[in-house]
Amino acid sequence: MSANLKTTNSSALGDVITPRLSGPLKGSAIWLPLSVALGFLLLWEVGVRVASVPEVILPRPSRVLWLIGDKSQILFTHMIPTTLEAAGGFLIASVLGIALAIWLSYSRLAHQALYPNLVLFQLIPKIALAPLFIMWIGIGSESRLAFSVFISIFPIVIATLAGFANTDPNIVKLCRSLAATEWQIFRTVRFPSALPYIFSGMKIGMTLAIIGVIIGEFITSQRGLGYLIIFATSRADTMVAMAAITVLCLAGLFLYGLVALAEMLSNRKYGVPRG
Amino acid sequence: MTEFVVFESVSKVYGSGDKSFQAVENADFSARKGQFLSLLGPSGCGKSTLLMMMAGLEPITRGRIMLSGDEVRKPRRDTGIVFQDPTLLPWKTVIENILFPIEIFGLNKADYVQRAEDLVALVGLAGFAHKKPHELSGGMRQRVAICRALIHDPDTLLMDEPFSALDAITRDEMNQLLSDLLERYEKNVMFVTHSIREAVFLSDRVLVMGCRPSKIVLDLPIDFPRPRPKDLEDSPAFIGACRVLRKSIEMAHAQP
Repeated sequence: MSANLKTTNSSALGDVITPRLSGPLKGSAIWLPLSVALGFLLLWEVGVRVASVPEVILPRPSRVLWLIGDKSQILFTHMIPTTLEAAGGFLIASVLGIALAIWLSYSRLAHQALYPNLVLFQLIPKIALAPLFIMWIGIGSESRLAFSVFISIFPIVIATLAGFANTDPNIVKLCRSLAATEWQIFRTVRFPSALPYIFSGMKIGMTLAIIGVIIGEFITSQRGLGYLIIFATSRADTMVAMAAITVLCLAGLFLYGLVALAEMLSNRKYGVPRG
Repeated sequence: MTEFVVFESVSKVYGSGDKSFQAVENADFSARKGQFLSLLGPSGCGKSTLLMMMAGLEPITRGRIMLSGDEVRKPRRDTGIVFQDPTLLPWKTVIENILFPIEIFGLNKADYVQRAEDLVALVGLAGFAHKKPHELSGGMRQRVAICRALIHDPDTLLMDEPFSALDAITRDEMNQLLSDLLERYEKNVMFVTHSIREAVFLSDRVLVMGCRPSKIVLDLPIDFPRPRPKDLEDSPAFIGACRVLRKSIEMAHAQP
């Protein structure tokens, strides 16, 4: 009874935004979703065969898989710039985002002036601004990088600020009683206790950074998976487009996985187990 | 120097004008070195404010506080503090939490590990030195907080209702533990509480604080010999002292 209550109470906002994939998974927690996914692919494969859907509309998963093997060289060449730009955008957004959050949490004036605007900006459809970035910065990877930083920085700033605000005020009081400097309080208390928040912001930021690069490549580019998707669909080559999308998903999962891995390592040291 | 603390007409006012609120009015007392002093009264009567001013965490509106001969202006290293909440860092082990003040003071932690281990053993947590706070009970966490307050060997221990969040049985255990601990490490103690029995059991002297105005209404010496056995609480003299304190609190409250 009391155990039930505890689980309900501890379902924090962070878990709603980023479902917990880490931790020991066993039994049905693994095979159930996996078999649903495989079943879906099988249904697709069989459905397309039985209804004889033309390949240009919907190619079979097995054919897409075969094409990935066949054209692996080309797909790989396009995957590299997309992955590097997304990773670069994400890293810049993380450093700038955390720095901005530190500034806003220590300067009352900056917080009052900027925080409401940040929240407002978070709400607007930032993708609409992508063509302007191309106009301002040009068609090189700089503009894709800049746009990727632009759309992925907001969740990182907001989550980091929430983390700093969540510092236990009693522990801060303890630090003050020890005559700790602001820097000591930040280094030993505020930052470590904000880490879970920072990582949940970074995980959202990572997926947005990839979206930013792809949008940039859609608009204007001579390489990258976004370019390949646009190029293939313009020639009605659905198979290549789907192969590119599959590779993009794999690259995205890989990058997300790196952030999740860093989070796991951080949680091992700074995580606070529930209960 | 024979006095560890001197309060000279200390007042604390929050806010200003019509909205001002007098949290402490004209506290004027001093205590001998080595004394265990309790500040007793109901919640919201400025007891904690008085303690926080002593810790240098709250500015003093009027008057001054002398601690070991120096005026208190800011937090200092010759005091150790225990709050109602254990305020442990959840990602640090028991030993690391106890060494936290040493880390903040920029001293060499290695020099204090032995002392930290001694303290841990003394409060009965010997097997728990490398556990983290979430693996401990409330009483155990507060023991860690007491060790942390003692790690740098301060002259004065400031305790702000340290056991009021614990259940009655654990609380009695903690009172005994603190009493035994102070037999070994002689400290000046300023202890804030709203438990009459706790104040009488632990203290050499109890100051009762009244509400509105937040003034000290009684200064009662408690001179049972130390070390004090648990069954002291059953003696008529103990019960008598409790009665005097309770009457004084009731009187202070009855005033308009």
